Amino acid sequence: MSGYALPIKRLIKELSRFPGIGERTAARLANHILRASEEDARRLAESILDVKRKIRFCSVCFNLAEGEICEICADTARNRSVICIVEEPDSLIALEGSGEYQGVYHVLHGALSPLDGIGPEQLRIRELLDRVAGNVVEEVIVATNPSVAGETTALLLVKLLKERGIKMTRIALGVPVGGDLKYTDRMTLAKCLEFRRGV
Amino acid sequence: MNARTQYRTEAIVLRLLDYGESDLIVTFCTAEFGKLRGIAKGARRSRKRFANALEPFSRLQILFSRRRPESLALIESCDVLSHFPGIRANLEKTFTASYLIDLTDQFTPDDKNNEGLFQLLNDFLRLLEGGPATEGLLRFFEIRLLKLSGYDPVLDHCLVCKTPLGNEKAYHFNSGDGGLICTACRPDSPDALPVSLGTIRMLLMGREMEIDRLGRLFLSEQSAEESRRLLAHFIRHLLGRELKSVHVLNEIRRLGI
Ligand SMILES: [Zn+2]
Ligand SMILES: [Zn+2]
Repeated sequence: MSGYALPIKRLIKELSRFPGIGERTAARLANHILRASEEDARRLAESILDVKRKIRFCSVCFNLAEGEICEICADTARNRSVICIVEEPDSLIALEGSGEYQGVYHVLHGALSPLDGIGPEQLRIRELLDRVAGNVVEEVIVATNPSVAGETTALLLVKLLKERGIKMTRIALGVPVGGDLKYTDRMTLAKCLEFRRGV
Repeated sequence: MNARTQYRTEAIVLRLLDYGESDLIVTFCTAEFGKLRGIAKGARRSRKRFANALEPFSRLQILFSRRRPESLALIESCDVLSHFPGIRANLEKTFTASYLIDLTDQFTPDDKNNEGLFQLLNDFLRLLEGGPATEGLLRFFEIRLLKLSGYDPVLDHCLVCKTPLGNEKAYHFNSGDGGLICTACRPDSPDALPVSLGTIRMLLMGREMEIDRLGRLFLSEQSAEESRRLLAHFIRHLLGRELKSVHVLNEIRRLGI
């Protein structure tokens, strides 16, 4: 990094803190910013600050939101009696991308992991229980990831919510569309057979 | 530059840590290499390469390479020997397995032959896979792990007067001294936990008995309570802190589960 003027050095250092960005990529990005118009640079800087100032967690579902509640919770066309539980906002975005879901969500912001000290109090589980207690809920779909942490979380949620008389469902597991059985791992294949359906 | 040497070994996954954009740093328990740390390149980006094998308490056959014993191993491939599906499908068993893993991680030496501890963990995961998650299973794992790792508490005589176990009905266990003290020797020590003769006998049996017969040992409510307090106290004393998995389990219990 030697040879760069101090402000450029500082920018490279900041950029290289992003995930997946090494010093060389950071230097390339810094040079790009250097060549950009002042207007473009200002828009970039302001959009970064905007995200920090305006985005917070939705007070209902803990999705990322601009303001008190998120777009999904504010949408009156969504079915509020079906709640889909996800680990992270990324999963929510992915499910929304399918265009198949009309219900609402609940974002836990993680999954149970006793070895990492992540228990129910680090997740939005209390809030979920309060939420289902105060509303008419017909179905809760557990869409945590099919990892040990995600499955453990699913088992806990089923235990907590079933005794409150709520219908619980778990997303199906199987071979990806366009996939090939011979390249599919044993665990997934076992689940495929377990969750087969009549045709 | 030293050449990389390749090794193949059986391993149980203890811990996973996200590293960079797409890698995982994995801690394994192995028989030959003790606690082994390795990097699995691209494990988070491509599920194909490691075929969902890198998950807590999975038992694997791994192929790894490294330049020196103290350097981070490069995990080249792994095959699943057991996912322990019976454990993973059950909340109580998953928490029990997490605790066994956490404890093993704390007591396993780095890069040192470790046949005993590896075997112990493997045996208890197998018991848990095939049977219920009982209080006894946890206690017998603890007492055997302490013995194998050189922290065996003295349970067969009084530390002070050396009188063998059996003369009295009740004893105290002192974590600081790592053993029993009879009532005659120090009746009112503030740190010592009371423990009955029956509980001590049960722990001694659970420590020595063949693994596959352990399922037949049942702890009375009093023995379960006494041995839980005794071993939890002693382990906390040895480690100097509470294990994360214990903390999480307490949170779960507060939810009424
Ligand atoms: Zn919302
Ligand atoms: Zn004595």
